Amino acid sequence: MKQILLISLFTSLSLFGANHIVNQKGKTFIPHEITVHPGDTITFKNSDPFAHNAYTDDEDNEFDIGMQPTGEDKIITVKPGNNFSVECAIHPNMLLEVIIK
Amino acid sequence: MLRKLQLLMLLLSFVSLEAQSDGMEKWLLPTSVPQPKDNKLTQERVELGRLLYFDTRLSRGNQLSCASCHHPERGWTDLIPTSKAVGFDGRVGPRNSPTILNAAYQKHQFWDGRVKSLEQQALGPITADVEMNMPLELLIPKLKKIKGYVKLFKKAYPDEGLTQKTVAKAIASFERTVVSTESPFDRYAKGDASAISQEAKEGFELFKGKAHCTECHDGFNFSDGSFQNIGLHDGELQGKELGRYNVKNRAAWYGVFKTPTLRDVTKSYPYFHDGSVKTLKEATVICSQGGRFEHNVRNKSDVMVDRHLNEAEVEKIVTFMKTLTGPDLQIKIPTKFPQ
Repeated sequence: MKQILLISLFTSLSLFGANHIVNQKGKTFIPHEITVHPGDTITFKNSDPFAHNAYTDDEDNEFDIGMQPTGEDKIITVKPGNNFSVECAIHPNMLLEVIIK
Repeated sequence: MLRKLQLLMLLLSFVSLEAQSDGMEKWLLPTSVPQPKDNKLTQERVELGRLLYFDTRLSRGNQLSCASCHHPERGWTDLIPTSKAVGFDGRVGPRNSPTILNAAYQKHQFWDGRVKSLEQQALGPITADVEMNMPLELLIPKLKKIKGYVKLFKKAYPDEGLTQKTVAKAIASFERTVVSTESPFDRYAKGDASAISQEAKEGFELFKGKAHCTECHDGFNFSDGSFQNIGLHDGELQGKELGRYNVKNRAAWYGVFKTPTLRDVTKSYPYFHDGSVKTLKEATVICSQGGRFEHNVRNKSDVMVDRHLNEAEVEKIVTFMKTLTGPDLQIKIPTKFPQ
């Protein structure tokens, strides 16, 4: 029974991947670098008192979460590909490096 | 005894200076500007860039130079709403001429941030048909005929010579020297409590606090480089300026423009990307009330809300912003150019 539980846990982890939380606070991404695997998700949080955004024009992982008001979470799933950078479209000094393993 | 007293007074003055500058680090001007690896500042490059910057032969009709719209005696702008007085052949540019002061510190250039370096920026106005209207395929041969320039390019860029890349690099090098001089606020930030008035100090507190100005005009350059739609127009923007949305149709970029620096802001009127506001007070009122239009503005920034400032508070903020102006940078405007 234990074995079945372990196998099912392993299967669900590999199916759904890990979730990485990136907070947007003080006009910075925290952390500013994450290491992920394809299939993992990234949850963008916004702890600043104003809207943020996160986007990349990367060929494999292009996404744009749109306007993200304070307190709202947005989730994206990482696809296979090369490392990429994420910026906030409003505050371009914010930079997140995503390393794909 | 006297020496002890003097020592005590000296120590006390240090304590007072320390207290003054505590927490002020982020407002202090940096001691150097960022420079790309392949275009480090040298005297030869800056000097060459200075000549190119003021030389009207870089325009198609030999009438305009970079300085026509970004002149040191006009706050590094042209002091008119949308550059209509000097555009090539009387053509009207769509935007207010931005100051180039401290452009060296900015991550993005132009109101819409369409390029990321001064080198990329430098050739834009030269080739733009409403500005200097000089195609590069005409400019480079024209400059190559001027022996004095060929010589100067060889000195400044020995391995590259005179190319469109080195024209851009030289102008960018000069622009990297156009940075703020020490303003009364800088002396205050360093610890000289008497450098600005009590009203200005209260204005600074309002600026950081109740008025929320630092949500965009943040850091030593009084701009965080953010792109904001400040609600100057209501409704859809058809036929009007779409700002950064023209660079790419990203929803967050609809009608947004780069937050300008407030350094030397008293010298660079009129204000906003359309140059529609003549005074600093009017600009402050518009921003502190959440833009010209409170509602019905597509993609208006959520920091643009009414901060309910009274007139005295607006005046204090304006008084504070005036302390961000330093003495004019000593730039020698060339009267003779290479032949």
